[in-house]
Amino acid sequence: MTTRPKISLPKERLTSFFEAAYIDSQTLQLIGVFFVLVIFFAAIDKKFLSSQSITSMGFQLPELGILSLAMMLTILTGGINLSVNATSNLAAVLAGFFMLKVVPPDATGVQMVFYIGIALLIALLVGLITGIINGFLIGYIGVNPILATLATMTFFTGISTGLTGGATVTGFPESLAVIGHEKLLGIPIPFIIFVLLTILTHYLLYRTAFGFKLRMLGSNPVASEFSAIENKVVLMKTYVLSGILSAITGILIMSRTMSAAIEYGTTTYVLLTILISVLANVVSGFGNVINVFISIIILQILSTGFHMILAGIRGSSFFKDFAWGVLLILIFIVNYFVYQRKRS
Amino acid sequence: MLRKVIKSNEFVIFLILVFLSLVVGTINPAFFSISTVFDILRAAIVYFIMAFGLLPIMIAGGIDISFVAIAAVTSYATHMLLIKYGYQGGIVPYYLIACTMGLLAGLLNGFLVTRFNLPVFNVSLATFTMWYGFNLFFVGATSNFDLPKGTVGYYAKFLITSQDPLVGTTGLHESILYVVVIGIFIWWFLKYTTIGRGVYAIGGNREVAIRSGFNVTMIMLVIFAIMGILSAIAGVTQAFLSRYFNPVIFIGQPLDVLAAVILGGASVTGGRGSVIGTALGVLLIQLINRTLILTGIPVEWQKLVLGIILILFTSIPALRERRIKRMGHTTELLQE
Repeated sequence: MTTRPKISLPKERLTSFFEAAYIDSQTLQLIGVFFVLVIFFAAIDKKFLSSQSITSMGFQLPELGILSLAMMLTILTGGINLSVNATSNLAAVLAGFFMLKVVPPDATGVQMVFYIGIALLIALLVGLITGIINGFLIGYIGVNPILATLATMTFFTGISTGLTGGATVTGFPESLAVIGHEKLLGIPIPFIIFVLLTILTHYLLYRTAFGFKLRMLGSNPVASEFSAIENKVVLMKTYVLSGILSAITGILIMSRTMSAAIEYGTTTYVLLTILISVLANVVSGFGNVINVFISIIILQILSTGFHMILAGIRGSSFFKDFAWGVLLILIFIVNYFVYQRKRS
Repeated sequence: MLRKVIKSNEFVIFLILVFLSLVVGTINPAFFSISTVFDILRAAIVYFIMAFGLLPIMIAGGIDISFVAIAAVTSYATHMLLIKYGYQGGIVPYYLIACTMGLLAGLLNGFLVTRFNLPVFNVSLATFTMWYGFNLFFVGATSNFDLPKGTVGYYAKFLITSQDPLVGTTGLHESILYVVVIGIFIWWFLKYTTIGRGVYAIGGNREVAIRSGFNVTMIMLVIFAIMGILSAIAGVTQAFLSRYFNPVIFIGQPLDVLAAVILGGASVTGGRGSVIGTALGVLLIQLINRTLILTGIPVEWQKLVLGIILILFTSIPALRERRIKRMGHTTELLQE
């Protein structure tokens, strides 16, 4: 693993915010990539910077974004959570079932808010329970995280499949759509939620004892065990958090599509969240939430940008996959030369 | 000797396999038929090949998921190329062209990993996305069902056939021979070649391997080349077994294969893993996947049962390992 060079500025000049944001070279590099891509796409197509396209990006990226936060937390502990997407679908399916079966169709406005609140609580509870299952398997039994979460991914998808019979659940109350479709002060609500969760995750990782323990566990589990950190408990908490974040994603997907189904996202979403963590240079013990945030925006820009440029060409939506892969390799290579020069 | 066998991880997987077969067989006696065996083996063929390709990389301490994308891009691109020139012959050119492409794709991974000192997993994630995107955008986005005349009927080339009163004639496809040959080759490669021993050395401790004179760059390139070639073989074989070429073949499967290899005793951090264990791991996952239908569980609940079985059977080796660890270092030495 490459060591993380810290940019040392005079202490008194650093505001506490920048100290918290912890701008490292990877962040600067990602910001650079961000501007290059924005200028590139804006130069080719004027529509790219229109408020309409930016708003649509604001609605699209939070789902993958929050899922990436869920993935990032587990990667920081040296693990992985392949069940993030299965968790969000299960949460959506169960909350959806509650709304279909329990909520009376003639509920008034206030009652409706109450029922939807309960449905959302159910979703979060699902996230909690799935997290406990993962945390128990990985922390207490000691199953390899890849195997454990692959098994639970199948298990959670299995529950959703059994309940829905593979069909899409629809017919939710209209007011649910508020979360996924409305804007607050011109900013899409999902994006606001995403930003809040990003800040919260950052706070948790860098400002709390738990976050410190989590990162210590990731960088050296044996050392952390001998430093009176209860690895099991930290792992359990991490996977629970990961589960809850996944469940929030489930709520967003449910609200945007007004439906719940087992096939939303599937394997590609899981791999994309890992790809974002890799792009953000998150490794066990070391990772920066800001980098994850920028990485998600970069991926969204690539996807939207190529979609605009290549509109009308056969299979245009697939070009972004190719571009993501190439971009990732390019960033790896640039990283290599940057760090090598620093070393010599 | 016997003690060593009984204590091995392979034996535990084998016991789970036997236990599961007995349970399924008790629920539905139709399980104990030669056609079931043929069916499971046929489904497992390509997974065996891909897992064997992945194994050396896992032993060297890397996790790769791009092998599925290499399988997809090599098989599909070869097919589209040959179809374009109106090729009507046999299957040998398919394997030759696909393997060449696979070799190059594998070497690309290897080059990136060794030249730029990158983690295998990161590179494989990038090439995974890249190759599927490449395949769909540049080569084609739809499945192709026109097979050349020379290859028609290949899917039913059986080594041995058997008459089954329920399902009629079933057979063991001849491509199981590839599995046997490749399995023996990988076993020989890992056990009796200097490069193969180097793979274990790198996985055990990379720094020590470099200091003791292993050419790590060369070894990594060789195992990535093997991975690329085997992925290409798996892709072409799967296409001919299912009689169509799919640009996104195996896109959801990399983790299944990975799980099979880990279940078979390969360590995620490297240094451990065997061909027998890998084969048993693949067989176990395929057995679970294919036999749930026979148990009479409703289709929509099968995935749930599969999940529970996976949770249980991944916990057993983990619990066992934890006990060994608690007993201390000496038992571990005795066990080796």
